[in-house]
Amino acid sequence: MIWSRWRFLRREVVEMVHYIGIILDDKRYEQIKGTPLEEKIQYIFGGTLRMLVVEVPEDKSQQILKAFDRARIDSRGFIEDLPVAFKRALFEEIAKAKSLDVIDKILERLPEIQELAKKEEEYIPPPEIE
Amino acid sequence: MPKFKMPPPHGGRLVERVVEKRDVAEKMAAGAIEYELKPTTDPKGVPIRHVYREIISVCYGFFSPVEGSMTSGDLERVLKERRLENEWVFPYPILFDISDEDLKALNVSEGDRLLLKLKGQPFAIMDVEEIYKIDPKDVATRTFGTPENNPEVVRQPFDEKHPGWMIYRCMHPNVIAGKWTIINPPKFREPYDRFWFPPRKCREVIKNEKKWRTVIAHQTRNVPHTGHEMLMKCAAYTGDIEPCHGILVNAIIGAKRKGDYPNEAILEGHEAVNKYGYIKPSRHMVTFTLWDMRYGNPIESLLHGIIRQNMGCTHHMFGRDHAAVGEYYDKFATQILWSEGIPSFGFEAPPNEVDYGLKIIPQNMAEFWYCPICGEIAYSENCGHTDAKQKFSGSFLRGMVAEGVMPPKVVMRPEVYRAIVKWWKVFNYPFVNNKYLEYINKELEIDLEPMEIPKA
Repeated sequence: MIWSRWRFLRREVVEMVHYIGIILDDKRYEQIKGTPLEEKIQYIFGGTLRMLVVEVPEDKSQQILKAFDRARIDSRGFIEDLPVAFKRALFEEIAKAKSLDVIDKILERLPEIQELAKKEEEYIPPPEIE
Repeated sequence: MPKFKMPPPHGGRLVERVVEKRDVAEKMAAGAIEYELKPTTDPKGVPIRHVYREIISVCYGFFSPVEGSMTSGDLERVLKERRLENEWVFPYPILFDISDEDLKALNVSEGDRLLLKLKGQPFAIMDVEEIYKIDPKDVATRTFGTPENNPEVVRQPFDEKHPGWMIYRCMHPNVIAGKWTIINPPKFREPYDRFWFPPRKCREVIKNEKKWRTVIAHQTRNVPHTGHEMLMKCAAYTGDIEPCHGILVNAIIGAKRKGDYPNEAILEGHEAVNKYGYIKPSRHMVTFTLWDMRYGNPIESLLHGIIRQNMGCTHHMFGRDHAAVGEYYDKFATQILWSEGIPSFGFEAPPNEVDYGLKIIPQNMAEFWYCPICGEIAYSENCGHTDAKQKFSGSFLRGMVAEGVMPPKVVMRPEVYRAIVKWWKVFNYPFVNNKYLEYINKELEIDLEPMEIPKA
């Protein structure tokens, strides 16, 4: 049955390494332009979005999931529903190290990020759009 | 192939328990024992359900043939076989639960009439048929199933992280059973008022205004991204001798899990799809049902089928991970139910092929993704570039929105994003949080006109 095949595929996804995607808006892109990171940018949705993808080993993804109760692994194997503060800190570390191998650095900063995330539960400033 | 036509309401008759005439209503409520409705709260005191939404959905016929809070016989039958005592399929316990203290204070017994008040005003009456005890944890677990008892689709035990399980878990241990009747019809506030199409009105609009013979329902608890839009467009190609005439979006409005979008943004986001021509308004209509979502995947899909059949739809689209949260159910549990049945939940065959089942026709859809090779949004069963797929992920989009990045239009229509930002500015937050849950619990979606009930 076709549904059985999907169930099988799903089990495979669960066992994969996890990922965190960092969207690069123009401001972030400027910060890494010309560095070795530029080659690692993935262009998705017809080139309309730039993204860096950080690989997270299973044990470290568990630490992240434990730190943020809403965080989850989505159907693509990406850790999502992370606080904005987490993504912001992750990009800071990437830009500083000019490398995607920064998960250990981020794990060191978890208590600080958790504090910032608490504030985010009440207020996130809306963007100014036309 | 025969041409399809609008199916009858589930149970054969549309339940309508709303008294419009003020003098009749006042007489019905005179002398009844007063009780102010209260929300169900989680252990931290956060409101996660309000029974008033169930009273409205029952009395306007969304949940036909259910007419009120279930008796112990109905509850047991629903938990065992997903059927009412009158045999008709129904998936969820509908219960008017009450605390020991309130029950003692009310001092009611079978045969009494309750006057249910909301926001301090008379709202509905309830004729007490039975008062019985429940074990809320047992009801919660049996409602959703367990890996042992429902191995076809349940993948992990339900727990405190599941919002629907928590609704039943947090109920009080006493249930008052009996029929509800609304005596003070609600006035929906903006923006809900323009999306309020209870079943009788919806059926009339479909037949007489829209002149749709076939209608496919789209369940939503989300603002639409283009993957949802493609799901709607492609699923609507089903029908009989021609594609479905109409697409009826029916949003589930009520308390939701934290991180979902606010109800107002969901409705206006879907409205933007037709308002800005992505699907013509002559073919697309946005409506809602009041219900504090239980996130019960196959179980929820049964309720969705019943609601939309009662609203007059001929077909219902079901996608991957339908009405699901977390990994509790198989991602295709709903499709399994509607293509093969789930015997452990009482379905040896699909719900539209069993006696006293549904008449709505399922349209099980797989996935949509963006394919950079095809250069378009592709259907998983068409596209051969599986390795290149770029999946639509609601949580990925939420992350982008939270970071203040406007999603590209290939992923989300700019007008839909504007609807999100409009309500973000109102609530200072783009998603459901505790503050929003408290706000909707206080304000609700309706107002009630002042009403004086004569004393007995």
